[in-house]
Amino acid sequence: MSGILKYLVGIETPQTLVFGITGRQGRSRSRLMKKMGTRILAGVTPGKGGQEVDGVPVFNSAFEAREAFPELNCAVTYVPAGAIRKAALEAMDAGLKFLVLTADGVPTHDAAALKEHSVKTGCKFLGPNTVGMLDTDGYLFGLIGGSATWAKKNYLPGSVGVISRSGGLSQLLGAFHCRRNLPGPREDGTFGPLWGEDYPGITSVMCTGGDPIPGVTMLDAALAFQADPRTKVIVAYGETGTTQENDLAREIVAGRINKPMIVFLGGLFTKAGVAQSHAGAMIRNVEESYEAKRKALEDAGVIVVERPDAVFAQTAKALGLHA
Amino acid sequence: MPALPEYKTRELLANIGIPIVEGIFVAATSPIPRDLPEPPVFLKAQIPGATSRAKHGLVRRADTREGLLKDLKELLAPGPWGQAEGVLVAKGADLVGEYYAACTLDFGSAERLPSGILLFSAEGGSGVEERASTLVKIPFSLMDPPPTEHIAQQLQDVANPALVAEFLHGLMNTFNRYKLMVLETNPIGVLADGSVLAIDCRAEFESRAVSRADRQLFESAPGGGEQLTPLERLVEKINEADPSGTGFLRENREEAPEGAWRVATNLCGGGGKMLWEMTTGARRDIFTMNESDTSGGLSAFKSYRVLRAILSQQGAQVLLLTGSGMAFQSQHHLAAAVWKALRESPTPLPALLRFGGTDEDKARALFERVAADLPVPVKTYRAEIFPNAMVDDIADLALTSPMQVEPPPEPEGEPVFSVKVPPADFYFYPEKCDGDEEPECVSVCPTGFLEWNVEERNIQPKEGARCIGCLMCETASLLDGNGELRIRLAMPAEVD
Repeated sequence: MSGILKYLVGIETPQTLVFGITGRQGRSRSRLMKKMGTRILAGVTPGKGGQEVDGVPVFNSAFEAREAFPELNCAVTYVPAGAIRKAALEAMDAGLKFLVLTADGVPTHDAAALKEHSVKTGCKFLGPNTVGMLDTDGYLFGLIGGSATWAKKNYLPGSVGVISRSGGLSQLLGAFHCRRNLPGPREDGTFGPLWGEDYPGITSVMCTGGDPIPGVTMLDAALAFQADPRTKVIVAYGETGTTQENDLAREIVAGRINKPMIVFLGGLFTKAGVAQSHAGAMIRNVEESYEAKRKALEDAGVIVVERPDAVFAQTAKALGLHA
Repeated sequence: MPALPEYKTRELLANIGIPIVEGIFVAATSPIPRDLPEPPVFLKAQIPGATSRAKHGLVRRADTREGLLKDLKELLAPGPWGQAEGVLVAKGADLVGEYYAACTLDFGSAERLPSGILLFSAEGGSGVEERASTLVKIPFSLMDPPPTEHIAQQLQDVANPALVAEFLHGLMNTFNRYKLMVLETNPIGVLADGSVLAIDCRAEFESRAVSRADRQLFESAPGGGEQLTPLERLVEKINEADPSGTGFLRENREEAPEGAWRVATNLCGGGGKMLWEMTTGARRDIFTMNESDTSGGLSAFKSYRVLRAILSQQGAQVLLLTGSGMAFQSQHHLAAAVWKALRESPTPLPALLRFGGTDEDKARALFERVAADLPVPVKTYRAEIFPNAMVDDIADLALTSPMQVEPPPEPEGEPVFSVKVPPADFYFYPEKCDGDEEPECVSVCPTGFLEWNVEERNIQPKEGARCIGCLMCETASLLDGNGELRIRLAMPAEVD
């Protein structure tokens, strides 16, 4: 069950620690994750060590948890934004190699500090402000799908790797690739089924998050999908702000990524310098504008579309699927 | 990015022990103090984010007591610059030189880790923008700034590197301690003995980075800062009372083009906002009344309250609700909130509703049952239908003249209990129940919070369980029961 994490961080078998497992969100999301196949070995809530949540032992710190379960290598946090820095630094120092930071509203300073420390400790993190990731090899970190029944119905194995800076669009781009007879706009201007019973399916969905300093970037995710033999097509949602799309385009030109890639690029009408509901979408210089990103991606051979539903016809084309 | 006025930035520097020129802040709302510094002094109007203050007459020198009082009164009164928070009265200093320094955040890229950046110029602050190439740039760790010796080694053309490095080290510490986005001292004054002090300073910060303990330091004084609309203030209060998820509203300050459809929007998440913006950004025939974001697992109670604010916008002709199309939060709960808002608002709007994600079928089914009884038409969409198709229906549904209806009466009697977070009052009418069996409104509670007390034929909250504010109980009571349970969701202030 290594899935995409093998190519992202070299983890063959994810063994997971949940920060904030005793809280309402931590408790319910841990149930969802377990039902989706994630191996949760332990939880952390300072001051609640010794308790159990649905049979999962709770520790006071990541260090205590790792001492009891040395095989722990991943962590998911369901703690408030203001507590993320402390929790993530602790997880890194305890030797974990991959973290998913779901909280929205993490100070940019904290994200920058975590990135600095992640390099020192060799730990990668997804987020902040992410709905997490899902792999059809059998694990989920975060909130994707909301309930296991819904997630199992909507995210089915296949050949599309999904990257997105938006939580909702991560879930949408993943789920719609798994719908039989999905209707949508076709290249010839008509509207109707884009494929038949044989849907493309997905390998993994990775939400890099809506913040200005993401841990795992679109480029990191694309490189993992490039290395993942299950993935035939990479589909992404990008937007203004940050250099993620520009960095991605540069590496495609350099030849490090050659799988077909389709990007729904948002922000055509985003004004420079104006705060956005995704903090990371604010345009701070010309390179971060819609126009610059679109040019960079198209020059690199990426198919760029302006509507999310236009993605699916392009996926069908890349995979040779027909209605 | 919110800006901090100089007098507040001085407090941050002082807290870290950075020397600052002597001064006193006179608030616009307070009487002028008697212990003003003796002239000559500089008077600086405190307006967050204001630039080129000297050019606009907002910085003045007073050489006499009379001149000081005259200028002070002028600057404290509303003027072309708006209303200043107050005036900083700073003493003059005998300077032999000026330096410039600022800290900013480098967000990083594929080639570069994010870091702090210290900018320094030994040539002073005036015209520093034009002399960008002369700036010394020192990247620094946000966790562990470099020692003063390291900074001193990189300072050229400075007679007093150790003292300046100590000052700059303090600047980095201030920047990191308060997680600022920009911290600028312009100029740093050099005194005859070689020591340095901050003459003028400013900061920009991220609201999300302000800790509870520091909140007072970053709050704007009355009369200053961005002017929120009453509805925006209302939504702020809604967020204070119910911190679940995201509840955001910003009204459009622009005038609607003549003949354009005025659309009130409930956009769910950054993806939903981007879909809407990509769909309508170039259209002159659609005017978006407001930005909004209700997402991130907020309660249906909060969705309802934000929706009531959205619906009360004057001049709106239609409501459009969309997320990205695959939300993890229950669309059934969201639909219950929309239904409640449309039936209880005195200014309901025809609605175009796109539900996508968990329980989306239940959300649409709910409106199939209730739409006919609402005072406005409602059209629901499957997630596969995107906003670019929804906008084609605006003209068919939009109001052509303002609509005011009589909302249903408030629940009668006293609540059987109230919930603090998310705030709600629960009313129960046992006489409307059939027999002694547990009513549907209790059995649908997803967390087991509601308990049926068969002896008293009443409901009660279960100890240890939690109300998540989903509205499933009231929805079941109205649709499958006899209206035995009602929930009153008081608004923080009158919006209608």
